[in-house]
Amino acid sequence: MTIYNLYIFNSAGSCIYYTEWHRKKQAGMSREEEMKLMYGLIFSLKSFVLKLSPVDCKEGFLNYRTSKYKLNFYETGTGLKFIMNTDVNAVNVRELLQRIYRDVYVEYVVKNPECKMGKEIVSEVFQSKLDKLVRSFPIFSNRIL
Amino acid sequence: MADEVLFDLLHLELICTYASSADECKEFDVSKLETIGFYTGYRLVERLTREWARFKDELDIMKFICKDFWSSVFKKEINNLRTNNQGVYVLHDNAFRFLTKVTNSNQFLSSTPKYLAFTCGLVRGALMNLGITSVVTADVSSPPSCKFQVVAQRM
Repeated sequence: MTIYNLYIFNSAGSCIYYTEWHRKKQAGMSREEEMKLMYGLIFSLKSFVLKLSPVDCKEGFLNYRTSKYKLNFYETGTGLKFIMNTDVNAVNVRELLQRIYRDVYVEYVVKNPECKMGKEIVSEVFQSKLDKLVRSFPIFSNRIL
Repeated sequence: MADEVLFDLLHLELICTYASSADECKEFDVSKLETIGFYTGYRLVERLTREWARFKDELDIMKFICKDFWSSVFKKEINNLRTNNQGVYVLHDNAFRFLTKVTNSNQFLSSTPKYLAFTCGLVRGALMNLGITSVVTADVSSPPSCKFQVVAQRM
């Protein structure tokens, strides 16, 4: 099992953080374009899912899966969006994303005056805590499948 | 006691209000923060010592600052206290509360003084009310650990 990469978008739709662990194929475009594409995808999927749902759905869009990877989506009450690509069999990714938000983002970005709200995250302590948390999770493994 | 996060966020805003107006010039104006800390410490220590007998000597007071005072404010004790027995004390905190969220490397090192000013004042105010006039300075060499130096003024 493995975790490929992580995107964090703020409520205004700009990417405030991106990091990757095992990414074997690049998008073939600039980072900036890739972020726009990703946000567009999430935005559209969210409204598709809501509109086409035959029942009243509370959670909305949570994840999708291809034959090769799984995209996991978690949106906080404040509109922050966490997107993590994992392999298809990864479980409990939602829990991991919630913990990233609760234990790392809130602690080391919200409570850090050096991190301006809504701007790109440059804090090194955030980076190292995030990396540590992700690596400690069972679904993270260095074996590339 | 109010929730810890409230204190953290209030302190954070204090810093932004009193120190970041001078963002362009390198020197932060931290005297205002220090003064706020001073009066907070002065009043706080009154409340904390209400059940204490009178202190024996200066070292006794410093021990109180390192243990009870520090843990009531920061929920942890000072990790190390050194003195030259001539009125100079060095208080070592390995994980200073206001810095742990900000940095654990040399990043943002230049802006660390403003995170320490309030606490310097806090210690100075507390000591003042316990009868020690002092000068308190702080210095950070490897965040989030930092050293507070207390120089007691001998009359």
